[in-house]
Amino acid sequence: MSKNDDKVAVSTVQSKRVEGLLESTLNDTGIPSRPAILDRVHIEMEKEEPDLNLLARIISADVALAGGLISIANSPYFGFHGRVRSVNESLMILGLDVACRAIAGLILRKLFPVTLALERFWDASAGIARLSGWLAQHPDIGIKVHANDAYTFGLFRDCGIAVLLHRFPYYHDVLAQANEEKTLSFTQVEEVQCPTNHAVIGSLLAQSWWLPEEICTGIRLHHEYAILQKNDSTLLPPSTRGLIAIAQLAEHIFQHHTGLSKSQEWSKSGEVCMELLEINEEILASLYEEGAPVLARFD
Amino acid sequence: MQDMQIDPNTGFLERYSCLQLASNLVEQAGESGQSLAALWIDLDRFKQINESFGYDGGDSIISLIADRLRETIQGDVEIGRIGADEFICFASNIDQDGAEKLGIELLRAIEPPLTMGDLRIRLTASMGIAVLEPEESASEFLERADWSKNTAKKQGGNRYVISGNEPVPSHMGIIQAREDLEVEYLLHTALETGGLQLHYQPILGFNGDVLSVEGLMRCTVNGKNLAPVRFFPVAEKSGLIVRLGEWSLLQGTRQARHLSKAGLGTTVSINVSRGQLSDSGFAEALHAAIILADVEPDLIELELSESLIMDASDTVQANLRNARDIGVSLAIDNFGSGFSCLANLKDIPATKMKLGRAFTMTLPQDRRSMSVVKSMVQLGQDLGMTVIAEGVETKEQMETLRELSVDGIQGYYYARPMDVEALSTWLTDREHS
Repeated sequence: MSKNDDKVAVSTVQSKRVEGLLESTLNDTGIPSRPAILDRVHIEMEKEEPDLNLLARIISADVALAGGLISIANSPYFGFHGRVRSVNESLMILGLDVACRAIAGLILRKLFPVTLALERFWDASAGIARLSGWLAQHPDIGIKVHANDAYTFGLFRDCGIAVLLHRFPYYHDVLAQANEEKTLSFTQVEEVQCPTNHAVIGSLLAQSWWLPEEICTGIRLHHEYAILQKNDSTLLPPSTRGLIAIAQLAEHIFQHHTGLSKSQEWSKSGEVCMELLEINEEILASLYEEGAPVLARFD
Repeated sequence: MQDMQIDPNTGFLERYSCLQLASNLVEQAGESGQSLAALWIDLDRFKQINESFGYDGGDSIISLIADRLRETIQGDVEIGRIGADEFICFASNIDQDGAEKLGIELLRAIEPPLTMGDLRIRLTASMGIAVLEPEESASEFLERADWSKNTAKKQGGNRYVISGNEPVPSHMGIIQAREDLEVEYLLHTALETGGLQLHYQPILGFNGDVLSVEGLMRCTVNGKNLAPVRFFPVAEKSGLIVRLGEWSLLQGTRQARHLSKAGLGTTVSINVSRGQLSDSGFAEALHAAIILADVEPDLIELELSESLIMDASDTVQANLRNARDIGVSLAIDNFGSGFSCLANLKDIPATKMKLGRAFTMTLPQDRRSMSVVKSMVQLGQDLGMTVIAEGVETKEQMETLRELSVDGIQGYYYARPMDVEALSTWLTDREHS
């Protein structure tokens, strides 16, 4: 079934209902506490026999969402290299859990106006998410976290930045300063000029979208590198530490290849991340190389 | 013992090295057959010290206590700093009586007052003592010492408990503990599957104006309702109250925005717990929720208990100040139920005082309640606060409260708590009537 077939299959009545569903999700000026379409996917997932056709119709009513999902399914990360052509196939290949997380990421992106800066930001998040999911399964990484969680964490980790860019015109400059800062933490720089920081905003947004606790906690603490140290006495679950370190490494590999989103974060955290992930410079060099195809995009 | 890390502040072994040391000592004791005791020391209420003197002050106190502990020990004894305000002491060649004697000496060493600037403070500690049992692993051994230390803490602190001497929980106690665990699990599930809801109960003036709506948390998991009286105590104990509180902030601010956009704008009052306000990240979370909801801060009110708003700790007061600075208002919930010093009332930044249902319930029959309510209304209004009576269920109560010049009432007499859709309909109907 092609993408067009999917679209034809939507009856007029259903299409109106689906439009309403998406509209209530996307047209509100605030950020929804949880998009209605995700609820719909969740309801289907919990059934013994989820109706993939119905889900495909709901998703296909939004062309950008459908295209985005097909593009994700075709990413080399999933190993199907450009062979997926419909939403139905994407759902089957990704599985509903991953599809739901990918849809969440796509909707998140659509909530904000299209600007060049934000587009670059979302592209970076998507790349970091794919690399994170890939690293989580890599045999050389010495800490185990679920690839799906690592992927979601990569998508949502910095979403607070998009919210702040959207709400405060001056946040562009704050972001530039925070990226340049060598000593203070990223969030400390933000807090000098903003009433809050992107990590807190991101974790609250993730909470309100019902993401798992380790992910929400990880988002809140992802610039507090002291917690990654082996003898850290906080009672943080190892999976949360793992998510933070993997996404940090993913960001570093992303920056290595693209030269985009440059920051000082790896110089502040690289050593402790590598120790936690049990990798050395030699492994890092091979990860640069192996990670390159994961970043390649299929639009 | 290579690679052992020393804590620079105390000169004792750091946490990770303490664990390594425990493992080495347990292994040696296993081989030689010598006895070994662990004494786990946790300073009581140290959080208060950090809040009062800052982390630098806290560090100096830890360093002074470490010196006292060092001076007390002799022979085959090693000490480590196993947590921010926790020490562990390992004594070899010692039986239970000897360990108990050493424990008492260490607790006594901590007791003498310390001088911090102009203040003299007295510290106490909770201690758990465990003597190594045959075939026991280092982690089991440490776990027992930790468990006994926690028992000492639960019994009020400033005491030691020897492992094995803890009170055996009663049958009812075990059932209760299991039920609490289940409730905790359900709360986690609710947080991750959307099982939480805020229901809103309106507060009305006597002219029929809606003054505000109070958000009340409801929890439903797998179709089963969990009563607030059941889940709040568990949330408080388990620390989940902070996450539940943040969820309320998010939901309350979003729904305030939703009502305002629908032309039904009213202040939404959100309950805030001690756990949240004692957290230094509270103000950031409040700002984040307001930014995410894109709501005007003056549509948000925080409702706090009387004892919480009177809390003198720096963190609580800084959080309250911060909330006021951005335009969020504060209400004192259930006023009259605590034992506040009225002199402090003039300094608190609240704009609303809510009289607890204990006063309303006995009106109009109880003349003494009438006098108390009358005085409290006068006091609140003189201090520039709006005075609300909670728990109003009958017409007589409503009329009496009107005579007593209360500004507004909340209770079943006018409206029960309702979900946000029902509230929207209720508000719309009132607009049209």
